[in-house]
Amino acid sequence: MLNVQDLDVFYGEFQAIDNVALKIEKGQTVIVVGPNGAGKSTLLRTIAGLLPPRRGTISFEGQRIDRMEAYHVVENGISLVPEGGRVFPHLSVLDNLKVGSYNKAARAKAQQWMKRIFELFPVLSNRKTQRAGSLSGGERQMLAIARSLMSQPRLIMLDEPSLGLAPLVVDMVFEFVLTMKQEGYTVLLVEQNANKALKVADYAYLIESGKLVFEGRSEDFDKNPYIKTAYLGI
Amino acid sequence: MVEQIIMALLNGILLGGVLALLAFGLNLIFGVVKIIHMAYGQFVMLGFYFIYFFYTAWHIPLLLSMAMGIVAMGLIGILVQLVIINPLLKAPRLNQLLALASLIIVVENLAQVIWGADYRGIPLTMPIIQFGEIFIRSSFLIAFIGAILTLGLLYLFLNRTYLGLGIRAVAQDLEMAKGVGINPNVIYYLTQATGGALTGLVAAFFIPIYTVHPHFGASFTLMAFVIVVFGGMGNLLGGFASAFIIGIATSVTAVLSSKEIADILALVLFIGMMMIRPQGLFGTES
Ligand SMILES: Nc1ncnc2c1ncn2[C@@H]1O[C@H](COP(=O)(O)OP(=O)(O)OP(=O)(O)O)[C@@H](O)[C@H]1O
Ligand SMILES: [Mg+2]
Repeated sequence: MLNVQDLDVFYGEFQAIDNVALKIEKGQTVIVVGPNGAGKSTLLRTIAGLLPPRRGTISFEGQRIDRMEAYHVVENGISLVPEGGRVFPHLSVLDNLKVGSYNKAARAKAQQWMKRIFELFPVLSNRKTQRAGSLSGGERQMLAIARSLMSQPRLIMLDEPSLGLAPLVVDMVFEFVLTMKQEGYTVLLVEQNANKALKVADYAYLIESGKLVFEGRSEDFDKNPYIKTAYLGI
Repeated sequence: MVEQIIMALLNGILLGGVLALLAFGLNLIFGVVKIIHMAYGQFVMLGFYFIYFFYTAWHIPLLLSMAMGIVAMGLIGILVQLVIINPLLKAPRLNQLLALASLIIVVENLAQVIWGADYRGIPLTMPIIQFGEIFIRSSFLIAFIGAILTLGLLYLFLNRTYLGLGIRAVAQDLEMAKGVGINPNVIYYLTQATGGALTGLVAAFFIPIYTVHPHFGASFTLMAFVIVVFGGMGNLLGGFASAFIIGIATSVTAVLSSKEIADILALVLFIGMMMIRPQGLFGTES
């Protein structure tokens, strides 16, 4: 479904992604783990069309998307939940959701979807008119996920959705990832919390300093002694 | 004297409505495109000349001339984005500011070349409304009602439509707005067109009130700027409230002393605000 090849991404002269390749099949949950500054967010932002790659190709459902503007990528069915529960702080919860359905196809069915979203996220339905900036960290993360679902994506990319949240809320976030998986979404999840992420993953990639250093199924990660000590804390 | 002050107060409120339109446009452009439109008042002058030209040279009925003036200014707004802002999008802020400031000179000289330095206007006799000892010009009242209606429509547009939501989203967080599927270019052009059309509308309201000359716009640029800073840059509600505060303060001062003192008062308010609350009366700390 998503196929990334030979990807190089630069910030000025600094290379943040170095020759990365990655593949996701329809319905899979794929995770990317790696330490701070490894280039995980950069990878997601590049796929989302927010950063142009210097080299390499990204195709989605057989179509090249690596030169597309971000809004076009969204129209084509990819949605990014940005790092840190980034929402529009001065918009109400309702408007944050509405803006998620900005693309034409999603707009037509926005009302229906909004209902579904409120069933899925009851916390948000009690806060419809509240400014998103006044939500708690966990609620904001929920809103960011809900907003991204409003665009009716086929691939949803989550950038460290558990970061900075209380353990109980972290569990909730991972439950949502499982729910999305059951609902048939294809998920690309970036996490530092490798233990929890590996439990929900069909396939995993490890990147360090912009380079792919390991890939495999969750079991392969569990068996690798280097990864065990460096990332799984066993 | 009491009647004079009441009349000045009323005129301040009525004119405040029109100033609120100008402040809204300037704020909208600042909030969305992140530039200060240095020639905003000069655009009112240009709009005035357009309407004057359509009416006197092409003999188009006045209301239609006004509508055409509004559309023309909307198109000029788009042109500003296309010709000045887009090429400088990645340039330092200062360059954008200088380019827009130089637009003042371009527009004023263009007006001078085309229409000359004379005062020009469309003579209209509009009735005076009288309540006892109080007189109000109906042209002021029409301008006020028109301005408030327009602001109401703009409010609905921003809050009830997808495009309005897109404008608010881009104003808050450009990158995330792109991320949720908004094409920022559409929003920029729309914002500039709206901002431009508003100067045309203000010009239309001014037709029965003023005569125009090439330097007519300068005081409105200043006025709009004072109001916007006073209310907090980019804060639409703040701009609305401060339009009336400044409108009333200057109009009452003009009656009590003189027009010049009133202008000085506006600047003193402006500088005072910059010193005490640089974020403006209604601005937030950030
Ligand atoms: N806008 C930018 N300009 C310059 N360098 C940047 C920019 N954004 C990120 N970088 C650099 O690129 C590298 C990768 O950053 P990125 O945010 O992708 O890492 P990450 O894996 O998401 O880290 P984290 O786990 O902390 O979120 C880092 O070294 C970072 O300093
Ligand atoms: Mg990151």
